[in-house]
Amino acid sequence: MPDDKRAPSPMDRVWDFFISVKLAIITLIVLAVTSIFGTIIEQNQPPEKYHQIYEDWAFALMDRINLFDMYHAWWFLLLLVLFTVNLACCTIDRFPRMWKVVRNPRTKLDGNLEKTLSQVDRWKKKGTVPDWASKYAEALSSAFAKPVATEEGGEVHLYAESGVASRFGVYVTHLSIIIIFIGAIVGNVLGFKGYVNIPEGESVSQVPVRGGSRVQELGFTVRCNSFRVETYPSGQPKAYISDLTVLEGGREVLRKKDVVVNDPLQYKGIWFYQSSYGQAGGATAQVAVRKADGSPMGTLALPPNEPMRIEGYGTVRGVNYDQNLQGNGPALQLVVDRPGKPSAEFWVYQSRPDLDRQRNDSLVFSFSGLNVRQFTGLQVAKDPGVNVVWLGCALMVVGIIMAFFLSHQRVWVRLSKSQDGRVEVVLAGAASRNRLAFEKRFEKIQTGVKAAEL
Amino acid sequence: MSNVILFNLTTVLFGVASALYIGALYANNEKISAFGTWVCVLAAVVSTAALGVRWYESYQMGIGRIPVTNLYESLVFFAWSINLFYLVVERKYGSRTFGAFVMPIAFATMLFAIKGDSSIQPLVPALQSYWLHAHVITCFVGYAAFAVSAGAALMYLLKAKQEEAKVSAGVIGLLPACKTLDDLVYRSIIWGFPFLTAGIITGAAWANYAWGTYWSWDPKETWSLIVWLVYAAFLHARITRGWYGKRAAILSIAGFLATVMCYLGVNLVLSGLHSYGGG
Repeated sequence: MPDDKRAPSPMDRVWDFFISVKLAIITLIVLAVTSIFGTIIEQNQPPEKYHQIYEDWAFALMDRINLFDMYHAWWFLLLLVLFTVNLACCTIDRFPRMWKVVRNPRTKLDGNLEKTLSQVDRWKKKGTVPDWASKYAEALSSAFAKPVATEEGGEVHLYAESGVASRFGVYVTHLSIIIIFIGAIVGNVLGFKGYVNIPEGESVSQVPVRGGSRVQELGFTVRCNSFRVETYPSGQPKAYISDLTVLEGGREVLRKKDVVVNDPLQYKGIWFYQSSYGQAGGATAQVAVRKADGSPMGTLALPPNEPMRIEGYGTVRGVNYDQNLQGNGPALQLVVDRPGKPSAEFWVYQSRPDLDRQRNDSLVFSFSGLNVRQFTGLQVAKDPGVNVVWLGCALMVVGIIMAFFLSHQRVWVRLSKSQDGRVEVVLAGAASRNRLAFEKRFEKIQTGVKAAEL
Repeated sequence: MSNVILFNLTTVLFGVASALYIGALYANNEKISAFGTWVCVLAAVVSTAALGVRWYESYQMGIGRIPVTNLYESLVFFAWSINLFYLVVERKYGSRTFGAFVMPIAFATMLFAIKGDSSIQPLVPALQSYWLHAHVITCFVGYAAFAVSAGAALMYLLKAKQEEAKVSAGVIGLLPACKTLDDLVYRSIIWGFPFLTAGIITGAAWANYAWGTYWSWDPKETWSLIVWLVYAAFLHARITRGWYGKRAAILSIAGFLATVMCYLGVNLVLSGLHSYGGG
């Protein structure tokens, strides 16, 4: 061809570079190999940690090429861009050709085509070309697929195909990758991720955004009503449970009592994920106070080691707590100081509220439990691109299945008048993949077509 | 814990099957390898029963859940998948010589498993999700397919070397033809690749539902991507550039090494979400 002799222009060269599969394979391998670094070098750690591991010069070098946050480094992103451009160019280059082939299939079985096909069979029949053409068209319909007939110069060509979708599999797969990237970019630009701790009874209406100093206004308020941990009998954690309420303008609009790991709270596109927990402030001990005659005086909330004054009596202090004192369950050690009397120190058990009567004091103390205030730690995320990502993922699975498990199968029949006056029939077939399976199918088509009688 | 006894028995059966397949190659005796097939079938029955019993026992302990949630369980499930995938391949290709290269992988996996902690532990909160089932099953079918591919690739390399030297005697001479092996290398990968893809996607969906991030460049995620990239490179090289034979076999083995790193290396060497406990 004359075109090939002309020297390619620089534009052509750039284009040829971007449409090459070699570039695709090299990019895939380079992405795979560079990704390994990020799994060996722990990412996004404080600099002190890296200084402990690496020499100064190595730290400086690695820091310079962003190896400590390499998946966001310019060169890694550039690799991803190169990968995407390559993908898009390959599609632009090849798709129209494939589309043309699909839209205008070679419906005529000429000699040139026949030579390239692996499955060919020929036989002769008495009768006329049009009669046999309509018979074989019928037979082909039931044995394989409905054919189109073309007549030319006394010859009739039948053409039938199946699994043409298989040709699109690779493009669906490639498109799905671009869609996933678009979804990821949308999420990064329009969404946010943050983390917040809410102590029991308190609420938040803004969230600090991860990896920055920005604070995101939620547009509503989230209150943590309570938090609790459930454990298995062995003591291993079974569930972390937050009871959350969403408020707007001070009014309760949504309540979810059991926000657990794998079951987040969602409101107005913002998701709250159960992520961690902890103690907010110290624990307070609940101590019930009664007079000697048994009449109740109220309950004291004792912070650790802080003396609490009781008018006309003295001060009480909780100095020690034991979850299981001498096998009798939770117990609190109290110190009572009364003016003019020696300091008294004794234990009260949660399981034995009347034990303190033994002291023969004017007041009886009993321990009704420890009150620990917890906070719940929530991941907060808004990602408007996530559904685009899922669409891309679904397309990817569909595309891969189309590409690998469907096969574009084509069958031709040519009928012509032979020298001896009979009708010469040629049956031929081809498959885009899995030729072995097609061989077997072709045999069945052969039998089906040959069984036709006038 | 009768499931552990059954798994120990499975290990023995895999060992016996490996020995029979290898012995059959050396003795050039089809009867021995046919016996190996029956041992594999028996192992499939015993290991399936073991999984069922373990599942049932977890319910008896009041922590009922699918037995694919820790290292021991994932290893025995991996071996179970390899065995089943192998039996299908053996039937489809009508050759028992693959067994000598694939069953030792299942046997080694079981040996590694029974050395570890086999107790049934309750599920930590992060694992309590229906995504667990889809994620683990798709991943391990993919891994098993890659294991079979790598076994076939190894056979290919041995066979091709011998063919180059123009000898056909000995054990290697009994291996299937290079063309068949090369076909199996490719065909296993086109089964493994969609399953791995589905495994990564279900993992991402799960992560998104548990933490609000479908991709966080965690070492496990990154290694699964590396595996995916290697096999994607394999498929492009094969389909559009006609990489057959030796180069394809080497890429298949590289892919399986990356798979082993993704599956075991990350848990044992590196840290990340998959080696942690709580949410």
